Amino acid sequence: MSALPGPAAGEAPPRDTTRPLAFLPAARGVFGLALEGMVWSRRSLLMAVLLGLPVVFALLYRGFLVAKVPARVTGLDLYAIIVAVYYVRNVLPLAALFYATSLIADEVEGRTLTYLLTRPLPRPAILAGKFAAYLGTTLALTLPALVATFLLLATARGFAGIGTAVPELFRDMGVVALALASYGALFTLLGVVLRRPVIPGLLFLFVWELVVHIPGYLPRLTLTGWLGSLVHHQPAEEGLAGLFQRQVLPVGEGLVVLLAASALFLALSVWVFSRREYVMEQ
Amino acid sequence: MTAPLEYARASRWYGPVIALNDVSVAVPPGVTGLLGPNGAGKSTFLKLAAGLLAPSQGEVRLLGRPAWGSPEAFHRVGLCPEVDAFWEHLTGLEFLTALLRLTGFGEKECRERAENALHQVALHDAKDRKVGGYSKGMRQRVKLAQSIAHDPDVLLLDEPVSGMDPVNRRRVIDLVKKMGREGKTVVVSSHILHEVEAMTRRVLLIHNGRILAEGDVREIRDLMDEHPHTVSLRARDPRHLARAVVASPHVLSLSFGADGEWLTVQTARPDEFYSALPEAAVEAGVTEMYSPDEDLESVFRYLVAR
Repeated sequence: MSALPGPAAGEAPPRDTTRPLAFLPAARGVFGLALEGMVWSRRSLLMAVLLGLPVVFALLYRGFLVAKVPARVTGLDLYAIIVAVYYVRNVLPLAALFYATSLIADEVEGRTLTYLLTRPLPRPAILAGKFAAYLGTTLALTLPALVATFLLLATARGFAGIGTAVPELFRDMGVVALALASYGALFTLLGVVLRRPVIPGLLFLFVWELVVHIPGYLPRLTLTGWLGSLVHHQPAEEGLAGLFQRQVLPVGEGLVVLLAASALFLALSVWVFSRREYVMEQ
Repeated sequence: MTAPLEYARASRWYGPVIALNDVSVAVPPGVTGLLGPNGAGKSTFLKLAAGLLAPSQGEVRLLGRPAWGSPEAFHRVGLCPEVDAFWEHLTGLEFLTALLRLTGFGEKECRERAENALHQVALHDAKDRKVGGYSKGMRQRVKLAQSIAHDPDVLLLDEPVSGMDPVNRRRVIDLVKKMGREGKTVVVSSHILHEVEAMTRRVLLIHNGRILAEGDVREIRDLMDEHPHTVSLRARDPRHLARAVVASPHVLSLSFGADGEWLTVQTARPDEFYSALPEAAVEAGVTEMYSPDEDLESVFRYLVAR
């Protein structure tokens, strides 16, 4: 059977100039361009420091503190606090806030959005490519730090029990990805709707999200409530357990809510971005 | 047959400010100069054509489709925006290849087209330097290169030669004329009459958001020639210069600056005045010359008042 005629290896197929580029190639093109700009930005340098701080703490713990901390507080307990309180509750939402609100705002401020809007790209693909670049950048900064922190803390007093803890690490990696996706989608929406989205974003994080501590139905209206419930391990030590939220929401429901919220926020962002005019003046 | 770019009673306002007012015009293939003073509505005219803005009223059609919301048109349309904005961390070559990739070309073709476009604007030698390190003129040229790299049928150029040195200005003017000869539709905006005049004879005169006139640039030139034209010259010996030019029948008035270095001449025939000037300028040691009328502001005031 002879091969169908088509472009030779390495050659692009003929361009169809009667329609915009297909969604995936368009988003991939924007992703590549945005990723390079994001990875080498000052914002990423700052975030690398913030997201990498637990590694520094874990090194200090192994080097100096492990002998001074009571044996009943294990390295895994400290790791659990870092995941739930440092990463999921504070730094990941902040990373999402600073990256996602600026996905389009940076292009508007730099007045480079003109170049993207005058290419045959569907606007949803522009936003999708930039959102994927945000997720790629933040995951690339967070996951290695998370794994390093886990390994340093979990093995501080030896390797006993590490085998049973490894599945928790994978679960935490999933929670980190979900946190970045859900907060990122919300802040992308704020970024395309509002001219100055950072203050409303901070208010959401550090005012609205506090309702997670109120008993009743309200924690279900927060992202942190659902995300916190996905972080499985709770330290046995009572004093440390107090740092965690009291109300644990159903895990399965949490996954559905977070994925649905992410999809909804992204869909709304695309809808707004596709209809909005951007006036860039000299 | 419809024109590649058409405005049908198109208006655009920003809040209470009218930037473009009930414009109906069809732009045919070839080079069309969009001529008007700063703030006349030139950029809004081009942004509507490029689909960056939607008309508040009326319609703008580009290649037979509504310009707003037709991204597919950008396979065949290039825009050189007025804003001086780039992804500064990219080299000139990377900047162009990235944009060509977003236009749907394969890697090999992206590279070839980018190199060719950079060559056309004489930036090939600087292709591997970061755009952030380019001079103002080079930035203008790389901006132009990205607009032509995909060989568009319609080219929208917003003040393309602003900030360029005379040699590159000439090069870009020749490039624009060449594209016009090739049958492409080129709209080039400027507030400098002689810039547009060097590229085309077909102009749209725009002022206060309205198309005042459309036609041959020579008619504008004739109107200009009727309009008293002011030229200021700085010279080592302005009195010698005054003696040399006062004999010309086209000089209407002369005045000296308070610092004793400047001479301001009002002439009814600027072309003849300029052609007669060099010899006297050398003798009087002219070091600077400018015309406040070059920006067309006064010409437009004159035309509107007629």
